[in-house]
Amino acid sequence: MFFFILTNNNSNKMFFLFILFFSTLISISSNSWFGCWIGLEINLLSFIPLISNSKNLLSVETSLKYFLTQSLASINFLFMILIKFSLLKNFDMNNIISIMMNSSLLMKMGSAPFHFWFPNIVEGLSWMNNFMLMTWQKISPMILLSYYFNKNFLIFMIIMNLIIGSLGGLNQTSLRKLLAFSSINNLGWMIFSIMISENLWLFYFLIYSMMIFMMISLFFLMNMYFMNQLFINNMNFFIKLNLLINFLSLGGLPPFMGFMPKWIIINFLLINKFYFLTFIFMMTSLIIIYYYIRIIYSSFMFNYFKMKWVNLLMKNNMSLINLSSFISISSMILSTFIFM
Amino acid sequence: MLKNNNLICFNSFFFLFFFMLINFFFFVYFIMNGLSVFFEWEIISFNSMSIVMSILLDWMSLLFMMFVSLISSVVIFYSKSYMNSELNLNRFIILVLMFVFSMVLLIISPNLISILLGWDGLGLISYCLVIYYQNLKSYNAGMLTALSNRIGDVMILMVICWVMNYGSWNYIFYFDFMKNDYVMFIISFMIIIAAMTKSAQIPFSSWLPAAMAAPTPVSALVHSSTLVTAGVYLLIRFNYLLIDMFFFKVLLFLSILTMFMSGISANYEFDLKKIIALSTLSQLGLMMSILSLGFPDIAFFHLLTHAMFKALLFMCAGVIIHMMNDIQDVRYMGGLSLYIPLTSLCLNISNLSLCGIPFLSGFYSKDLILEMVSFNSFNLMVFILFYLSTGLTVFYTFRLIMYVMINDFNLMMIYNLYDEDYIMLNSMFVLLFMSLLSGSFLSWFIFSYPYMIYLPFNLKLMVIYVSILGSILGFMVSNMGIYSLNKLLLSYNLSSFLCLMWFMPNLSTYGLSYIYLNFSQILFKNIDMGWSEIYSGKGIFNILKNYSVFYNIYQMNNFKIYLFSFILWFMILFIFFFI
Repeated sequence: MFFFILTNNNSNKMFFLFILFFSTLISISSNSWFGCWIGLEINLLSFIPLISNSKNLLSVETSLKYFLTQSLASINFLFMILIKFSLLKNFDMNNIISIMMNSSLLMKMGSAPFHFWFPNIVEGLSWMNNFMLMTWQKISPMILLSYYFNKNFLIFMIIMNLIIGSLGGLNQTSLRKLLAFSSINNLGWMIFSIMISENLWLFYFLIYSMMIFMMISLFFLMNMYFMNQLFINNMNFFIKLNLLINFLSLGGLPPFMGFMPKWIIINFLLINKFYFLTFIFMMTSLIIIYYYIRIIYSSFMFNYFKMKWVNLLMKNNMSLINLSSFISISSMILSTFIFM
Repeated sequence: MLKNNNLICFNSFFFLFFFMLINFFFFVYFIMNGLSVFFEWEIISFNSMSIVMSILLDWMSLLFMMFVSLISSVVIFYSKSYMNSELNLNRFIILVLMFVFSMVLLIISPNLISILLGWDGLGLISYCLVIYYQNLKSYNAGMLTALSNRIGDVMILMVICWVMNYGSWNYIFYFDFMKNDYVMFIISFMIIIAAMTKSAQIPFSSWLPAAMAAPTPVSALVHSSTLVTAGVYLLIRFNYLLIDMFFFKVLLFLSILTMFMSGISANYEFDLKKIIALSTLSQLGLMMSILSLGFPDIAFFHLLTHAMFKALLFMCAGVIIHMMNDIQDVRYMGGLSLYIPLTSLCLNISNLSLCGIPFLSGFYSKDLILEMVSFNSFNLMVFILFYLSTGLTVFYTFRLIMYVMINDFNLMMIYNLYDEDYIMLNSMFVLLFMSLLSGSFLSWFIFSYPYMIYLPFNLKLMVIYVSILGSILGFMVSNMGIYSLNKLLLSYNLSSFLCLMWFMPNLSTYGLSYIYLNFSQILFKNIDMGWSEIYSGKGIFNILKNYSVFYNIYQMNNFKIYLFSFILWFMILFIFFFI
């Protein structure tokens, strides 16, 4: 993101980026709900200039949509906070208040029943903005979620997340929407990991953001937004291999890095006898891996474009790609050496 | 055009010939001094368990090794010219060498584990050699060969299990002590079945004619002298145990029937190699029956002489097949004795030796067998079937000679009958020499004193009567002119029964597999390509795809609907709770 902003000679955006980082920190480190809300608002305010580019009508529209949904969710959040403070002594209300607060936070994140804005907006943003949206913007709602959550409601939401993330992605050809639905699916895993422990959520979130970063930087370097742009004849083999590894890692296939957090979560599920939930986690993972493999398989087998104006055969600096492949493949094994 | 590296042929020929000379020398020394040597090599000894490899060299194993190495060296030299245009000749020769190695391992081993190694090696390599030409017929023949031999392998494995009761796998030590034991009873049963599968006796005899899909040198080495006699050799080794057992009498019955059946079937056959295969089967039945009557050394004697002339016969058949441009059907051949004198010399001598013409090598063993059968009193069926089979042997032999060498020439208009392939001829001459002399030579060595046989005059000449009758019948049957009527077709059922080996190949091929193949077709059509496609294959994919399409319709919606639905959710919660 820094790199992109620096190359585009747009140092105004650097200013908003810093405010974005600080807003999240405000939100998660405040000791009052009001401070949380303030952080969320500043977050919204500073993200809008990052994504709106007045020369492009689509990105203006996208930023408007983003503003509308997020502000609605923030209003609701503030309202629920105030109701909570006014009805402090009435413990019967806890259930409903927590449901309502969780719903507004879920809408902020783009999680399941309130996720309809998410693929739309992701479709309208560029890759770097997407990266911000998918990783950084999820931190503060999730931590706020971990402060006051309703277990039953959240489990239901998790199941909806998983199912919608897997089923929605089956019919997509745009890479951004594909990653959006995969992000919704991973949100299901992450919310469940919040309910297990904070540390585990942090672990999952870090690995997820690393994987997303590798994928998005690959797509950004290739300037690819749609699936049919993957079928290029003179694409370097290692780039395709890196794509394969990253997709499979995102899906949670064993020797790759993305399997580790999912493994820990499944372990917890099975020990504590959450069998039905395990089943749903597994089956939706299978559907997601199916459509990843469909993409990779086609991209390896079908090569019917040959672009003459872009030299994709030898990228200038392959070291980043090689490094990311290496990390994705060997992290699980190397981590056993670290935590020995 | 010689395009192979033929050094492998020469090298292996010289090696095996030299090996044969060594074995001959040691055989003479051992049998003259009555020696037998038992080597033991202790591989591992660990606490109370020790793995020991043992080798038994007595005159029987040395003699058999000499014959095996002689035939295999001659066959390898022969295949230098026969398999000349073969691209992978090295592969072929290496397979033959591995076969010889397995056979030698089988011959010299006094314990069951190395017998199993040799036995399994024989089965596997004969499969590899039968499927050597890669076509459908060879595939089917190889499958039949391998699976029939496999039954014998399983039997030997079970014998290994049972003989562990006695503490070691060296079976030769236990014969004296354990004769009436229940375990020995079971072991003898299984050994007999194993030998029956390898030597193609009656229930398992369908693989031997089918295995003629192999190249002719393979048939000469494997299916005439070494593989099929491995079963007889095993029974000769176990003879001391088996001699009073009931199953030996069952074996007598089955082997006599084998002898008879294959003799009849050979008379209906028109494929040259199949006639020779059925004659091998008949002689194997003879060997097994004289063994089960209680004369192991005569059986061994016949095994060796038969190996000589049968290998020679196969090699002559190979020369004829090459010359006829790969036609194996006997009806296309005729009058060849005028054109290929040397080959027809070898063919004649081996055929007459097979019939038991006096003082060729086959005479010594066959005549001795028949006289022993007449001298010791056995029952009428044994007697009749023995003599009848001898007559049938002469019958099909003379029929073969008439068809191939004496009748009119039946090949196409353009032909090239040549006899000058000296590589093949030289190898045949070695076997010719042995096939003339080995009868007397072996009888002087093996039998230190002759058998005492005292027969009435006509019984003594019964052999000659039966042979003359067979030869006359053979001559008469093969006088097929253009206008002759085939009266066999009038009794179609009987003649097809007799011709198709009493329908036994159906037993081991079609009969066993039909039910299962039918059932598996039903399963495949109904389950694999039927219900399980709906419930787990394409069906699930369609369901998921429909859900996804349905979801997509929801996704493409007006934006304020999303915002409004969010507000609606909260209003429902409020109304639900605060009322």
